[in-house]
Amino acid sequence: MSDGYTLVICEKPDAARRVSDALSGGNSRSEQVDGTTVFRFSRKGEEYVVCAAQGHLYGVSDPSEERTVYPVFDVEWYSSDLVDEDSASAARRISAVKKLSAGASKFVNACDFDVEGETIGYNLLKYACGGKEKAALRARFSTLTEEDLVKAFDDLEFQGGQGLARAGRARHAIDFVWGVNLSRALSQSVLGSGHRYRTVSVGRVQGPTLGFLVQRELEIREFVPVPYWKDSGIFARDGKKFTAAYAKDRIETRPFAEKVREECVGKEAAATSVRRGTVQVGPPVPFNIGDLQKEAYRAFGYTPSRTLQIAERLYLAALVSYPRTDSQRLPQSIDYRKIIQGVGKMPEYSAHAAELLKTEPKPVQGARSDPAHPAIHPTGEKPNRRLDASEGAVFDLVVRRFLASFGPSARREMVDVTLAVGEHEFRLAGGRTVFPGWMKYYGRYAGYRDVEFPAVVEGDRFKVVDVLVEEKFEQRPYRYNQSSLLEKMEKEGIGTKATRADIISTLAGRGYVSGESLEVSDLGLSVVETMARYAPSIISTGLTREIEEKLEAVEGGAEGEPALLRETVRSIAAQLAELNANEDAVGRELDSAQMRTVAKSFVLGRCPVCKTGELRVIRSKSTKKRFVGCSNYSAGCRASAPLPQRGIVRTTARPCQHCSWPVVYIVGGGRPWRLCVNPSCPGKWKS
Amino acid sequence: MKCPLCGRDAVSDLCRYHAEAKAKVQAAYTPWVKAYGKMEWGDYLDNVKRNPQTGQWAKEIAELLKGG
Repeated sequence: MSDGYTLVICEKPDAARRVSDALSGGNSRSEQVDGTTVFRFSRKGEEYVVCAAQGHLYGVSDPSEERTVYPVFDVEWYSSDLVDEDSASAARRISAVKKLSAGASKFVNACDFDVEGETIGYNLLKYACGGKEKAALRARFSTLTEEDLVKAFDDLEFQGGQGLARAGRARHAIDFVWGVNLSRALSQSVLGSGHRYRTVSVGRVQGPTLGFLVQRELEIREFVPVPYWKDSGIFARDGKKFTAAYAKDRIETRPFAEKVREECVGKEAAATSVRRGTVQVGPPVPFNIGDLQKEAYRAFGYTPSRTLQIAERLYLAALVSYPRTDSQRLPQSIDYRKIIQGVGKMPEYSAHAAELLKTEPKPVQGARSDPAHPAIHPTGEKPNRRLDASEGAVFDLVVRRFLASFGPSARREMVDVTLAVGEHEFRLAGGRTVFPGWMKYYGRYAGYRDVEFPAVVEGDRFKVVDVLVEEKFEQRPYRYNQSSLLEKMEKEGIGTKATRADIISTLAGRGYVSGESLEVSDLGLSVVETMARYAPSIISTGLTREIEEKLEAVEGGAEGEPALLRETVRSIAAQLAELNANEDAVGRELDSAQMRTVAKSFVLGRCPVCKTGELRVIRSKSTKKRFVGCSNYSAGCRASAPLPQRGIVRTTARPCQHCSWPVVYIVGGGRPWRLCVNPSCPGKWKS
Repeated sequence: MKCPLCGRDAVSDLCRYHAEAKAKVQAAYTPWVKAYGKMEWGDYLDNVKRNPQTGQWAKEIAELLKGG
């Protein structure tokens, strides 16, 4: 071994700083190499240089310069600045690593230990360090605390079979081949139909995901509700009244619902059965990333991608463990007691922590595991900077969930009373928490409500004061929101924990869906319809899931990624042939759907002045400025309003509550802002 | 031939989405009659059209059938 230094490659600059601080005891010096910051220090007689990637510095592309030709099945890895113009800093970082590798005698991959991190480190070691991917050592850690980092570098491992990196590289290649060929085929077909070039894409996971959304959209748009009735009896005794629901939850016909009323009002009811019982409610299992994303959506309304970003910031601040994990399990090796003690130093958790530490803490474990990382948990360190509101919220959620997973089961008392009036029965059900157990630690996130009920014993008699007959209608299915769609993707086994949130954002970016409840556009419908007709495998869950399972096997160390790539190419080639043979029809259908989607985006809503026309975004031919005008202008309606000239105008479903004019969001250049387009809206004067 | 309601290619007189919605509107009439004991076709269409739970394509079909 020569006397060069150890070059450590981290995934992000913040991680590089933490690694350097931890290993040097805060005595590292920073310097600039090609405009990037690197850290130098000595440790146990060895010199270290720590540098950082900034996400992926290499990407897959095709060697051809021609961007309209397909099929493309030969792919190569290039530095990201050549693949993506927005990645200009990648060249500088690669150049810095190349220079630093010349003086290194030992290499350590300290990127996040998962598929993406392993791929980032592998590519830098292979391409920038001159083929050091096999010789490099691996630092494995799940938190960026000093203790974990020091331990990881004391126990450096050889890279081993590199299953994660091989799977990651295969995934990138497959997704590129899939995406580039289908996007070019679809975009070219639109161009061939006589219209200008538009990008229409269907990614490997994007297709089936859009398929779920379209399936639900069709159910919603074709939905016809059927009426039914719900009866509730109002009962009284000793001047006290309470309400109980008719035992049959859904009454199919109005005549019967009214008959119940006629036959019960003024009669006497008897409590024929009173059942009381206690149920145990076990603590929630520790968070994996999907659970955290769903819970943050439920508690705070954060989208899955936002939650992931926040969790990553908390990880880089060494406050929580690595968030991209599937695990719902907390191994003993993380040292439960020490973390609880650390959390207990924060005043808001100190009482809970003290309580849990009275006995030997043991968490409930979930079913899912991840060989790379434990479930998401706090590190026990206190924030050394002020967390912003969203970071504070997610941190609190993670800490409380962690504490709750150590709590005892809660007990709830449930009561179920049956009241009989002749042949009719009413039911009164309620529940209350008699022992909070873990709910105390989970706080407001526990989500159990107490429903109080009167003290009733069997044989008690009540007067039926009234029966309320309520007409109801079947509810149409709910649209997916980001959280429920993420859950569906997980359930169907498509995408990975690292990519699902981004795929949902891409669907919105492509104009296939919009809004918080993901409403599918005409273009989204048409893409799925066209694929279903000409290339059904592209939107089938089966093929995507099969590829996913094979990639997981590679991650686990199995060989076979070249065969998987060949299989994928064969499958795509067959689908492309079908699309090619029907290019005209595909182009026409997609183009007309795109036109409808664009036209719809210009319609803001019903005109509140003439009541029959539509208010639309119009661009003046003379001034080129945009404004709002009514489609009934030629029939005499002069409703119009100015619009901001910058930003994208996004329509909303609800008109203004003050004046019934449409409300829009102006997006771009900062936080989106809400605007009633009526310049004379009384709501504006009020505010 | 184009669907008169949305301009998509028509299967017979409607596109496949509106044709499916039409079948659903027609199929739901019997349960509505049973639920209320009695209901005229025109009143049913008015109710379906007004109901906030009715899907967009089903509303458009109810409007079309009412007009026809």
